[in-house]
Amino acid sequence: MQNLTRLLERLAEAGVDFVIVGGFAAVTHGSSYLTRDVDICAVLTPQNVARLRQALADWNPRHRMTPQKLSFLDYPAGDQPLKNLYLETDAGVVDILSSVLGVGDFERLKSTADQVEVDGRTYAVMSLRDLVQAKEALGREKDLLTAKELRAIAAKRGERL
Amino acid sequence: MGDIAQIYEEARRAGIDLELLDSNLALPVKERWRLHDEAVNLAEALRGGLISHNAKSHPTAGTAR
Repeated sequence: MQNLTRLLERLAEAGVDFVIVGGFAAVTHGSSYLTRDVDICAVLTPQNVARLRQALADWNPRHRMTPQKLSFLDYPAGDQPLKNLYLETDAGVVDILSSVLGVGDFERLKSTADQVEVDGRTYAVMSLRDLVQAKEALGREKDLLTAKELRAIAAKRGERL
Repeated sequence: MGDIAQIYEEARRAGIDLELLDSNLALPVKERWRLHDEAVNLAEALRGGLISHNAKSHPTAGTAR
């Protein structure tokens, strides 16, 4: 059973430094669209990767883009530089991206992210403005639809994008 | 003001339920996350049930007589 909320809690508990991006960031801002994965932006330093492994260890994390579904706990070994990770776990799919198209890298996203508190934990969430920019940069029909919804949310919150 | 009216109009024309957005925005983030996870799991359960139902109702050509 999918539990994206628990996934995020685990990552935060393990001390992974990340920004929630993509569809789940849209849900956080009030979007009514569903997403089957959680996308985060993070710098994949060896320390962050170790924290990710610790956070996901008992949820059988595997590389969903590899035919053999290689275990994230074993692969890649060592301090191999990583750009993105596409993982599926027993709690749901989590994609870890080093940057977001149309907006920028982790530092850029973090500098404008909204801080959201849930159950005593503070999460960095991609700002509405950045999210709209990213969705419009992707340009797919479903992303443009989400961008329209996010613009309506911004208007309801009295924010100008 | 004109901008806002145009944004709402574009959203409506795209089929976005603005009243549903009001309901979402009235909820704390924790509740938005919980309802989202519940909805995805329900959709998955229904999809699984449909696949199972279809497999029983429409056997594959190889097994149909």
